[in-house]
Amino acid sequence: MGKPTGFLEFDRELPGKRDPKSRINDYKELYIEFSDEKTVTQAARCMDCGVPFCHTGCPLGNIIPEFNDAVYQEDWGLALEILHSTNNFPEFTGRICPAPCESSCVLGINKPPVAIELIEKSIIEKAYSQGLVKPIIPPFRTGKQVAVVGSGPSGLAAAAQLNQAGHSVVVFEREDRIGGLLRYGIPDFKLEKTVIDRRLDLMKAEGITFETNVNIGVDVPFNRLVDEFDAVVLCGGSTKPRDLNIDGRNLNGIHFAMDFLRQQNKRVAEDDVPEAGAIMATGKHVIVIGGGDTGSDCVGTSNRHKAKSVTQIELLSKPSASRTEKDPWPNYPMILRTSTSHEEGADRHWSILTKEFVADGKGNVKGLKIVDIVWEIGYTGKPEMKEVAGTERELPCDLALLAIGFLHGETDKFRQKVNLELDSRGNIDTKDYQTNIENVFAAGDMRRGQSLVVWAIAEGREAARAVDKYLMKESYLLARDKSLTSTV
Amino acid sequence: MYVPSMEHDSCGIGFVANIKGVKSHSIVKDAITMLENMEHRGACGCEPDTGDGAGILIQMPHQFLKEECAKLGFDLPEFGKYGVGSIFFPTDSAVREECRFILNKHIGELGFELLGYREVPTNNSHIGATARSLEMKLEQVFIRHKTITDPTELERKIYVLKKYTTHFIGHNVEGNNGDLYFVSFSYKTIVYKGQLRTDQLETYYPDLQDQRVVSALALVHSRFSTNTFPKWKLAQPFKYIAHNGEINTVRGNLNWMSSKESLMESSHFSKEDIMRLLPICDPAHSDSANLDSMVEILVLGGRPLAHVMMMVIPEAYESNHLMPDYKKAFYEYQGSIMEPWDGPASICFTDGIVVGATLDRNGLRPSRYCLTNDDRIIMASEAGALRVDPSKVIMKGRLQPGKMFIVDLAQGRIISDEELKKDICTRHPYRQWLNENQISIKDLPIKEDYEFTFDKSSLQTRQLAHGYTTEDIKVIFQPMVNQKTEPIGSMGNDTPLAILSDQNQHLSNYFKQLFAQVSNPPIDPIRERLVMSLNISFGKVKNFMEETPEHCRQIYVDQPIMKNRQLEKIRVLDSPFFKSKVIDITFDASGRKDALENAIDEICYKAENATRYGINVIILSDRKMSKSRAPIPSLLATGAVHHHLIRKGLRVRCGIVVEAGDIRETHHYATLIGYGASAINPYLAFETLYDMQLNEQLPQNIDKMELFDNYIKAVNYGLLKIFSKMGISTIQSYQGAQIFEAVGINSKVIDKCFYGTVSRLGGLGFDEIAREILVRHNLAFPPKPILDQRLEVGGVYQWKRRGEYHLFNPDTIHLLQQSTRRGDYQLFKKYSEKVNDQTIKAATLRGMLQFKKRNSVRIEEVEPKEKIFKRFASGAMSFGSISHEAHSTLAIAMNRIGGKSNCGEGGEDEARFVRKENGDWERSAIKQVASGRFGVTINYLTNADELQIKMAQGAKPGEGGQLPGHKVDEWIGRVRHSTPGVGLISPPPHHDIYSIEDLAQLIHDLKNANREARINVKLVAEAGVGTIAAGVSKAKADVVLISGHDGGTGASPISSIRHAGLPWELGVSEAHQTLVKNKLRDRIVLQADGQMKTGRDLAIAALLGAEEWGVATAALITEGCIMMRKCHLNTCPVGVATQDKELRKLFSGKPEHVVNLFTFLAEELREIMAELGFKTIDEMVGQSDVLEVRPGIDHWKLKTLDLSPILYKEPADNTGIYCSTSQDHGLEAALDWSLLNLAKPALEDGTQVYGEFEILNTNRSVGAILSNEISKIYGGQGLPEGTINLRFRGSAGQSFGVFAAKGLKFELEGEANDYFGKGLSGAQLIVYPDRTSMFVPEENMIIGNVAFYGATAGEAYIRGMAGERFCVRNSGVKAVVEGIGDHGCEYMTGGIAVILGKTGRNFAAGMSGGVAYVYDKENTFSDYCNRELVEFDPMEEEDKITLKELIGNHVEYTGSAVAKDILDNWNAALEKFIKVMPRDYKKVLQARKKKLEEVI
Repeated sequence: MGKPTGFLEFDRELPGKRDPKSRINDYKELYIEFSDEKTVTQAARCMDCGVPFCHTGCPLGNIIPEFNDAVYQEDWGLALEILHSTNNFPEFTGRICPAPCESSCVLGINKPPVAIELIEKSIIEKAYSQGLVKPIIPPFRTGKQVAVVGSGPSGLAAAAQLNQAGHSVVVFEREDRIGGLLRYGIPDFKLEKTVIDRRLDLMKAEGITFETNVNIGVDVPFNRLVDEFDAVVLCGGSTKPRDLNIDGRNLNGIHFAMDFLRQQNKRVAEDDVPEAGAIMATGKHVIVIGGGDTGSDCVGTSNRHKAKSVTQIELLSKPSASRTEKDPWPNYPMILRTSTSHEEGADRHWSILTKEFVADGKGNVKGLKIVDIVWEIGYTGKPEMKEVAGTERELPCDLALLAIGFLHGETDKFRQKVNLELDSRGNIDTKDYQTNIENVFAAGDMRRGQSLVVWAIAEGREAARAVDKYLMKESYLLARDKSLTSTV
Repeated sequence: MYVPSMEHDSCGIGFVANIKGVKSHSIVKDAITMLENMEHRGACGCEPDTGDGAGILIQMPHQFLKEECAKLGFDLPEFGKYGVGSIFFPTDSAVREECRFILNKHIGELGFELLGYREVPTNNSHIGATARSLEMKLEQVFIRHKTITDPTELERKIYVLKKYTTHFIGHNVEGNNGDLYFVSFSYKTIVYKGQLRTDQLETYYPDLQDQRVVSALALVHSRFSTNTFPKWKLAQPFKYIAHNGEINTVRGNLNWMSSKESLMESSHFSKEDIMRLLPICDPAHSDSANLDSMVEILVLGGRPLAHVMMMVIPEAYESNHLMPDYKKAFYEYQGSIMEPWDGPASICFTDGIVVGATLDRNGLRPSRYCLTNDDRIIMASEAGALRVDPSKVIMKGRLQPGKMFIVDLAQGRIISDEELKKDICTRHPYRQWLNENQISIKDLPIKEDYEFTFDKSSLQTRQLAHGYTTEDIKVIFQPMVNQKTEPIGSMGNDTPLAILSDQNQHLSNYFKQLFAQVSNPPIDPIRERLVMSLNISFGKVKNFMEETPEHCRQIYVDQPIMKNRQLEKIRVLDSPFFKSKVIDITFDASGRKDALENAIDEICYKAENATRYGINVIILSDRKMSKSRAPIPSLLATGAVHHHLIRKGLRVRCGIVVEAGDIRETHHYATLIGYGASAINPYLAFETLYDMQLNEQLPQNIDKMELFDNYIKAVNYGLLKIFSKMGISTIQSYQGAQIFEAVGINSKVIDKCFYGTVSRLGGLGFDEIAREILVRHNLAFPPKPILDQRLEVGGVYQWKRRGEYHLFNPDTIHLLQQSTRRGDYQLFKKYSEKVNDQTIKAATLRGMLQFKKRNSVRIEEVEPKEKIFKRFASGAMSFGSISHEAHSTLAIAMNRIGGKSNCGEGGEDEARFVRKENGDWERSAIKQVASGRFGVTINYLTNADELQIKMAQGAKPGEGGQLPGHKVDEWIGRVRHSTPGVGLISPPPHHDIYSIEDLAQLIHDLKNANREARINVKLVAEAGVGTIAAGVSKAKADVVLISGHDGGTGASPISSIRHAGLPWELGVSEAHQTLVKNKLRDRIVLQADGQMKTGRDLAIAALLGAEEWGVATAALITEGCIMMRKCHLNTCPVGVATQDKELRKLFSGKPEHVVNLFTFLAEELREIMAELGFKTIDEMVGQSDVLEVRPGIDHWKLKTLDLSPILYKEPADNTGIYCSTSQDHGLEAALDWSLLNLAKPALEDGTQVYGEFEILNTNRSVGAILSNEISKIYGGQGLPEGTINLRFRGSAGQSFGVFAAKGLKFELEGEANDYFGKGLSGAQLIVYPDRTSMFVPEENMIIGNVAFYGATAGEAYIRGMAGERFCVRNSGVKAVVEGIGDHGCEYMTGGIAVILGKTGRNFAAGMSGGVAYVYDKENTFSDYCNRELVEFDPMEEEDKITLKELIGNHVEYTGSAVAKDILDNWNAALEKFIKVMPRDYKKVLQARKKKLEEVI
């Protein structure tokens, strides 16, 4: 293990961030360099627990104590080996994961948890800088063709794993670039797109084929794919946004968050974004509806657009600053999270119910009527909301961004000729990632509903193993929860 | 579950003889009287009048027999011309007559003439019903030989007749069932014995009362057996010996012997007769009986009796630099003929002409002797057993470790150990023989350019094939190299048994190490290293009946692990004397059925052939492993070859060297050696180490050979620990001794490869073993390459998602903590569902069981939870291993519910004995008495409801412990009566429990010290725990606790946590069944613990036989423990298992949470009881037929198991199957009642009192009851010094002055036995010889072994010598003595020992505190002192004052002449004093002094 008494000697320390005032002028990453030495000290805080809750808190099953120890020993190569064995893309999760591992870190019971995410990012960045991350080209091919539909984190993870197993993988993406939500959902100040490109170069070198601008089910009939490939993995994500059906919804200036973010990502990538239809927050009163991560990204982007004001509202009540009895360790707690985007400035309100968008008479939105609510346990035993009389008011609003979640994937296009079964929530129904069509598998948000990137990668990996097993009868791809030498 | 081969016994033994050989009836009479006075060392069964066995061996009473035979109508010839056989015939008359017919026929066939039979008169009116029901009729047969005239030849022929007839009848007479038994058969000696109490022997055999029965010597024996169905023939003495002890290595000794028989030749026996003799030993007989058979053949083969005893029970010679070389050479040479019969032993032996006694190498049994001026020599387990007029005594002594004591009646004198052994050892030029023939591996040639190399590219493949994990690298290899010792871990093992695990298992994991508990002591391999040995030699063993120079022509290694270089030397051996051959141990990896078994057969066949062709070293090698050939587990191959060669009678012709890739942990080595390997080359471990260094995972600054050396050192350290936990001290006797129980191996595999190993539940066969190997083989050699492959993660020592299953995992820990914190029973049910839900896998044996459907009752009808609470105990955890907060929270919770908390080993702060104002009580109801005896004072014992003797701990049974100095803060130091900052050692054995009768004594001591407390004996489950439990019940314990192997620990070697002991399911059912079978169940409470987690666990434990339960880990988790497994590092981040002040603040547990846990457990149990229709626990106990194996188990491994032995319900036969009566502790006979009577005024108002008493060796534990009464009134303070003054005269029994409280002053005129002043708690003890005795006190024994064990305060003055282990673990007594035996001041942590004479060897081993002043008159002391922890310091002024005062007291109290002489020449004498000072202790004292000076 690292240093047995490290957690007693050292405090948690994270990299500094650029000044919010200056950083809102660009879309670059906002963390300041953190020395290796400091990272090693952070790794020394790991207690190498007998029951490492972080290891179960991580959806990927990252073997966190082991890579922490390797970092403490300054064996970056070993740390990378351990990290890569469970996570294909630590450079993504090391930047944008909400780190459930840290919520479940044992040290977190009574002290600030180990800076696991930082260590994860440091390992992979160190490895890239030292040239330790090289394409690993399978020296053999099984002759099996696998199609992966969707190039978000789950699709990429599945593709990487299947390629490692020797299958020939083609990834289909309807957009013009690979990356899915990673590329067009997450702003650059959280994930610079070079980070994705760097990984894609490796994957291409390893032999994976990427087909962009191919919308399966639209450009190519889905059943053709099913017939032509030995296996198909559906990783299309959960892209159908939840709408807000209140009066005035059809006014101009009300958009889904993802449309807003996608445009900006394209702009940063120096793609042409036509003036017409451009969604800009510049000089506007922006209201972001929804208090989650997407909402937060909208806040950060709006500030960079130089909005006149940015307000974020949330239906649920304001969470407490720290864990409560309801969310005991090691659960991922519902606490007040202040993102880097919030630091850059936003009015945040909780327990707010939207009532109506107000028009300016020209078909544009100019305000949003809201009312305060309180949450009370109703007689059914479940919390119910109650409007607070006399709190109705109107907020100025030139741009409203809806960031209230996603319903499910866009699956209709796959179901035109084949009877692909869905579950009650509209996600693809699977058994061990296999759908009702023998050679069709599904993973990620399209299967489990909207979730975290880290879950998407985990799903992609596990699905790949299921595919490999289906194709080869036996799979030597690492499973998250089962040893390869398990005797059952 | 009962395992007959695991029966134990131990005993009182002794002899009386007339040195000049003058025969008299009084010798016989005296011996019997002596035997009767040691009745407390024997035991009775369920009926008080059925003894375990008693007997006597005397010289042939020729005149008496001649007259008696004449009455029967036949004449006896003169003495020496006829033989007398005493025979137990089978009781069935037809069988008996058939036996008699055969015997008569053989008598004729061997040239004898039958003179007649005599039915030995008996009187069975006094013996118990059980004994009577098994009674065997003793008859004597009288024969003479037609041609042989020489008595020695006659004796040999009689021996042939005896063996021949026994074997013939054994094979041919149906219904005999091994009943026919020759009690003795000789021309010169005769034995009377039976399943009797000592006081029944004489009445049962009227012969013994007959004045005409005369003898110059009489050997006696009384038996304490761990079971109640001892057979008549198991009574002792045997033909040559009476044995008090235990042969731990008997299984191996018998295996070796059976293969030696094929080489047996002798000039004294014809080939034909040798065929009649074989086999010499019989595994169906007891260890003692087999040792006797061994002695018999060796003596009749022409060796002197003393020589034979030296062969079978050699001294510890290996590291004894004081031993003369001729003796070392003798022992070294004999080692090539015979491995030691290892174990604690005091043996009296005689051939009718010489009589003697010897003691094992470590002196683990008491033997005291006394010589009178009328030529009588008396030797016995206790002094004073035969009363003698003190004025006649001219010498009093004790047998010393490894020493022999011989009286030659023909020469009419005592022969000293030195003279005797010198004579024997110089009969042949043994050193020269060794020099010329024995070859050290160092001296074997090797190619000059030999260098260590390996193929790095295939390393990972091979590691994978052999099941290496990243955990092995980190947890096993790294610490082994860096610390040169075994890795340490903490908390219990909560992973499945190998047979229940889904993970790939090493074959060794199916074998559990056995360990010594109660019937025999484990050894301390560190502090008593001098008795341990790793030397091993191999090659061909020759005819054991002879001694020639060629016998020692063997290869010698000083430890069993070979580097590649050494193996290479063996591989190329090809000389006229030594030839080696490599046998490939791989098998066809295609998965074909029977492939593994066929390969094993082929290997055995090859080994057999090689051996027949003169190969004397077989190398079993798996180097040829490849994609198509999988490695056979080296353990399987070794065991198979070993047993095959034994079966073919070839085993001793060759050594087996193993070269295999699957060897890395200590346990792997132990199993290999235990199943016959002589030496082991773990090449893949070496390669791994080398590779680790290349990868910078090991220090760069050491040479690779040093890397290997460190690893080897660590393995050796671990091996010594594994042998020693069974009480075995030499690798030579461990080799092939099979000290394991298998769990999950089927009988076919056992019979072929591990014959004789206990394996009770069936399990894997050859094909299943192959399946397990092939899984990892296929991963190592996959059909297509695997990219970026890594080793598997393991997950055994740390929970891992991909790894081994743990019952305590993130889910269950979280649910348990949340439910108990919130008081949410429904959430707790979720927890228990997760633990109990073993529908897919079974993590425990109980997971495979389910309850049968029965008529249920309403839950209101089930007894309330309050009644169940009384049956709960918390597990033993010391203050020291856990924080005060965690410890006292648990105590408060248990007191709130009326359960019992256990203080663990480490004392308890007296402040906690008083209730708090709010009604809470931090006092632990159970006070533990463990081997370190920390804080065990009379006041501690008085403040308890239960006293628990911890014989073993689930996490490391058979091992001691250590609390490092940095953990001993002021508080812990005070509570443990030790010095803060100084490390504390708990020895592996209790130094007052080397045998079952010793345990009975400690129970007696404790019961005297607190009559209201239950006495609980804690055992750990292993094969044979049932018989131990029966012994414990007979030793009068009120409670026996069977702990599972998975109990927690603050720090243990990780191999011990995993590989020693068994789950409680096996232990509890075995104990319950055995107790019921012995009709001993109803007088003892059976308690179970070891990972009890849910109500279901409790219900199953109850149904298997436990009526109380202990819960520890679950309670700790409730208090906040999150299974960090870092207790040993003092860094527990939740303040549970740490003494760090800052971390302790983080403790968040509350008594309410713990109360919730026990409430939930009780409620859950009650629900199950209602479901099953049990209204009370009593109804439920032992109803194992309510359980059944869950149907539909389709796990391929689980399917092979047969759990019916666990579920077997022993017929109760009118005896209770739960505790319903109480033990009779026999306290009414205590001398203390008289003392108490006299001391009344003192107790009432502190009035000084005086009194005088006669004392006998049967007066045991004198002073304990009185001290208990003092403590009740005056607490830890006691009375003012000198309040109660008592004088005793005579021979005091064991434990004189035990736990004696302050205010007592005991003066003993005479002598005392073992455990003098044990646990002394402030009293003064004075002892000096009887005023009429003539011997020189300072040269004679006056008190026995293990004096002042664990004493905390007081003073003592001893005019005379003490035995072994004087002041062991003393922490406060000041004692003056005039000479002591070996291991003096061992583990001492405080107090002062003044020794005015010689000490034995190993003085001050493990001494971490206190001071000793040794008067080194002859300037030899430094040779005898173990200076690992201590230094010799100059005497300072303060020392001189202290010393002078103590010596002054000694003169004043005892009139010591030595002391007076010293005082008279004080300045000159001072020069001769050596101050022995523990290094750490000195540092702490100096630091303190400095601090004090600074303050002033």
